[in-house]
Amino acid sequence: MKKLWVVLMLLPTFSLVFLLNLYPLVRGGVISFQRLTVFNLNNPRYVGLANYETILRDPNFPRILWNTLVWIAWSVSLQFIFGLILALLLEKPFKGRGAYMGFVFYPWALSGFAIGLLWSWLLNGQFGVVNDLLVRMRFIKVPIGFLSDERFAMMSVILVNVWYGIPFFAIMLLAALQSVPRELYEAAQIDGAGFFQRLFGITLPYIRPTVVSTILLRIIWVMNFPDIIYGMTRGGPAGVTTILSVQMLNVVYYRNNFGLASALGVIVTAVLLAFAVVYLSLLEKGEFEL
Amino acid sequence: MKKRKVGTIFRVVALSLYLVFAVFPLAWIFLTSIKPATEVYTFPVRYLPSRPTLEAYRYLFSFARFGVYFKNSFIVTVVSAGLSTVFAVMAGYVLTRERFKFREVLVLVLFFVQMLPTYLVMIPLFTMFSRLKLTNSLVGVITVYTSFGSAFGTIMARAFLRNIPKDIEEAAMIDGCSKPGALLRVVVPVLLPGIGAIFSFCFVNSWNEVFTAILFLHSDHKMTVPVALYSFVSKAGIQWNVMAAGLVVALVPTICVFAFAQRYIVQGLTQGALKG
Repeated sequence: MKKLWVVLMLLPTFSLVFLLNLYPLVRGGVISFQRLTVFNLNNPRYVGLANYETILRDPNFPRILWNTLVWIAWSVSLQFIFGLILALLLEKPFKGRGAYMGFVFYPWALSGFAIGLLWSWLLNGQFGVVNDLLVRMRFIKVPIGFLSDERFAMMSVILVNVWYGIPFFAIMLLAALQSVPRELYEAAQIDGAGFFQRLFGITLPYIRPTVVSTILLRIIWVMNFPDIIYGMTRGGPAGVTTILSVQMLNVVYYRNNFGLASALGVIVTAVLLAFAVVYLSLLEKGEFEL
Repeated sequence: MKKRKVGTIFRVVALSLYLVFAVFPLAWIFLTSIKPATEVYTFPVRYLPSRPTLEAYRYLFSFARFGVYFKNSFIVTVVSAGLSTVFAVMAGYVLTRERFKFREVLVLVLFFVQMLPTYLVMIPLFTMFSRLKLTNSLVGVITVYTSFGSAFGTIMARAFLRNIPKDIEEAAMIDGCSKPGALLRVVVPVLLPGIGAIFSFCFVNSWNEVFTAILFLHSDHKMTVPVALYSFVSKAGIQWNVMAAGLVVALVPTICVFAFAQRYIVQGLTQGALKG
């Protein structure tokens, strides 16, 4: 009786999860050894390691890996720093804090792709408002091609990603900050500790588990977040903003080469699995709450 | 005392600057959407329209058939979020209340799936669904979104259910209530804030999903809003005031959901639902 109850209750979620989330992951591995395009969907041909060879022979591939690293490192570290600053600013209650949080946290709910498109208009090289403001404030004389100039494109997409990701970090860190026992601060107050001594001596060590888990998850998430780049540049100009996930999308949408895209997917999955093992083992060890 | 005052001033200035930074992009896209086409492409930029107009929105809903895309998006989002929420509460309930074999393994599976981005499995899903003739259909997309939604919804449901004491169901069961009866009549009413949070999460994720939708939905009358925006970019000669209007239409629903459910969403985020 109890067994039937448990099985029936789990059935919808887990049949969907196994059939549509986990099985396709394995299936993607199989497709990566096939020549499969939109035109031969029903009779794929096995080609061994040919897709992987294509990727490794691609002279742009090291560049794509490097771009992915740059994208993750800058995005996550800046999101963390500004998220922490925002959380610290919001820690003490003040009148209208709830409303303020609503206004600054809303980007969390927005579509990354739409945000990319939106910012591509703000950063437009001819008619963009950011250029207009910079010219008016006399920082620059002529408009900058933020998205068309190879020197600025990566910086631009990262800054938009930071804009988008600050709220998430701030929410997580604010909750963690509020869990720090007041007594710890009172003791520090008596000892005459300053702001930075308190921050590095008490606050950060206390919230370390949240910081570690949030950053770890964020790295995985940002690596697999082509949405903003896809809205802004689709990987251009000249591939300078092409990260692994963007490359995979371009191979799917422009070249319709599902086999090659799946091989790229396997590479992404391998990195994802490595992170998942670290993260889930930390969970198991009780480093942070499961 | 003086030090504290400096601190307060710094805080007010910093928070005000950040507020402008956070809100300005959205305000700007709205301003662009109510400009006449002639005032969009100027430099130096014209900040306020000489006469606000809805011509971009009119174009959007007549020539660009945005009404159809909006309806498609709405159906896909509400159905998948609704199903995910029901499935998540069911699974989350037994995962917190019952002890059985493989329970921990199943929870780990959910945490893993939560890290899985949709785009990574969309090709195998496309080949599977094309055999079932479900690729160019809203049902196919709904099924995919429901699978991801149920997985992270269950994690959220677990977090909320752990805070609800077991006693209330036990009391009901002593009074002769069956297990499903206790869940429906006793637990669900207490869980409503959690259910709201799960639904809002799934709503936001489904409404915003773009890459599977681009691959799956290719005929014009099946497109969702993000797919329509994607096809806008490829179309030559799209005016930016029309694009801006499309973006406003794409962004407003999730902003509304966020406004209504902000408190629960924040709770859900910090209680273990970790999807950004």
